[in-house]
Amino acid sequence: MSPIPPGAQLKGAAAAAAGQAAGTLGVATGAVGSAAARVAAGTQAATKPVVPIAFPPPEVKADCEELLKRYPTKMAALLPILHLAQKHNAGWVSPALEAGVAAYLGVSDAHVRGVLTFYAMFHTQPVGRHDVWVCRTLTCWLRGAEALTKTALAKAGIDKVGGTDAQGRFSVREMECLGLCEVAPAAWIDGQVHGHVTPDSLGRLMDGCA
Amino acid sequence: MTTPATRRTPETKVLSLNFGVPDSWTLKVVRERGAYQALEKALKTMTPEQVTAEVKTSRLRGRGGAGFPAGVKWGFVPKSSPKTKYVVCNADESEPGTFKDRYLMELDPHLVLEGCLLAAYAVGASVIYIYVRGEYPLSIARLEGAMAEARAAGLVGANILGSSFSCEAWVHPGAGAYICGEETGMLESLEGKRGHPRIKPPFPAVEGAFASPTLINNVETLAHVPWIVTNGGAAFAKQGIPPDPANPRAVGSSGTKLMGVSGPVRTPGVWEFEFGITLRELIYGYGGGPLPGRTIKAVIPGGISMPVLTDAELDVKMGFDELAKAGSGLGTACAIVMDDTCDMVKACINIAHFFADESCGQCTPCREGCHWLEKIYKRIDAGQGTLADLDLLASLFGNIEGRTICALADAAVWPLRSILKKFRPEFEARLARPVTAVAGQAVMS
Repeated sequence: MSPIPPGAQLKGAAAAAAGQAAGTLGVATGAVGSAAARVAAGTQAATKPVVPIAFPPPEVKADCEELLKRYPTKMAALLPILHLAQKHNAGWVSPALEAGVAAYLGVSDAHVRGVLTFYAMFHTQPVGRHDVWVCRTLTCWLRGAEALTKTALAKAGIDKVGGTDAQGRFSVREMECLGLCEVAPAAWIDGQVHGHVTPDSLGRLMDGCA
Repeated sequence: MTTPATRRTPETKVLSLNFGVPDSWTLKVVRERGAYQALEKALKTMTPEQVTAEVKTSRLRGRGGAGFPAGVKWGFVPKSSPKTKYVVCNADESEPGTFKDRYLMELDPHLVLEGCLLAAYAVGASVIYIYVRGEYPLSIARLEGAMAEARAAGLVGANILGSSFSCEAWVHPGAGAYICGEETGMLESLEGKRGHPRIKPPFPAVEGAFASPTLINNVETLAHVPWIVTNGGAAFAKQGIPPDPANPRAVGSSGTKLMGVSGPVRTPGVWEFEFGITLRELIYGYGGGPLPGRTIKAVIPGGISMPVLTDAELDVKMGFDELAKAGSGLGTACAIVMDDTCDMVKACINIAHFFADESCGQCTPCREGCHWLEKIYKRIDAGQGTLADLDLLASLFGNIEGRTICALADAAVWPLRSILKKFRPEFEARLARPVTAVAGQAVMS
């Protein structure tokens, strides 16, 4: 698969779906108050039809078709295609995009959701423009990873690991072993790995993120 | 405390021969250095059965951690099958402390690919998938680059090197899940599903990817195959630790192995040795020993999933049978060192959290048990633990280990149980009412 620069958002259908979702929720939220109403709202939110985004968009169509040729089943292309879809949707997979991918591969939305929520590198909520991952597993922990996490959170202005700042600049996560143990402690920023990271150097790297 | 060894047995470079060569990941550079000559030899002068026979003769054992004889595994793949057969190379190197396969994929991807092609030829597979963890973008790029180069040179695709052997090769990217390193979890993930390990049988050799016969080997295992084909299995078997004639279960550790050291040591890294150097030599001689002013407290010999050894126990040879006999295991042979500043209770929280986070959730003992373990360690760390908590830990270990579909839960128990056993006083000292030893008995004060 050819490397594709991140950033380009899926437009059009996504915006339409978001608008419709807001409208639907508007009706449901009118009933908020009693527990029963909240349950009803939840049920309605869970079962409300999602308008799938047409997938694949032109910029990844050729790559998706190429991926499908590699496997005897369409479902098998799900992971590489979700990587592509996410990259082209500002780093996360919305319910509408999920439904679009599902329709493209002939699998259920639920199957795609099951996969999305299983793997640490897929996101079902909006994320910041920059991914900051600190490796938290044993070797990095032994070499000072906790201080890096604190720095990353403070720098980003986020109070909890897994969060995104209000400006949508950073998402900070603790990841399990990144396999960079010989240069621990390690961090990952937007797919670029860094070793021998110190709180100072991490701060400078984050300062360099627009 | 044993005197630190400064002995350094020289490296034996077989897999790492091209490491450090400029542009070693390009076909042009490695072909001048002999890449794909083993493939050519096999396709032109050997039958598939002869290739498998050489691997059996080599006594090559799987390098992913379990150490199963590779040639025997190859023999399990049915010769005649109406279905497409697959080779899946396990490059989901998610074992904590382990980075050896990353070096192979980044620095010599053609060696990995040649090994995959030889395995495919031997078992009659026509498609290779290299399942690389998503956190290794450079490995993915280098392997895809190597595949494209090999395809253009007639080394992948139809009628390879003019022979009747045709085989495709693709990278399949993972997306962040330790469990996908478990071979059947990997197959599920390859098929586009959650990485839930399968109950065996059926074994993958018979019914693996897409319900077809599938050979699964670790990156390093497959990377050994070109040398074996070129030099013969007998030459490979002469390296390393021979089988013990007195013990039929000690089948030896033949060949070389990439071995690593990480944690608070002076020079962490990865090197290649014949099996048989000691763990002490690896850590002190190559890893440089502890940081100035510190001492080594505990070592996990390979990955995070094996029982710990103390500094006094490091004179064990790096070999499958030797480390098992010492009460631990070779695992991935990438050792994690903990020094005297390491708080073992907090280390256990870190380890338990890893397994709780990575449990796929299928089996109750693992899904619930790993979280329980983490909570108990946190309670002890907070000074709220009691002696009953230590008993509860022991009880949990017994109720988790061996009671699940795959070995993830066992992998959680082994290091944690050994740490509690070897460093119990540290845990007792942290209880709400500390235990004092009186006349050899632990009593509540």
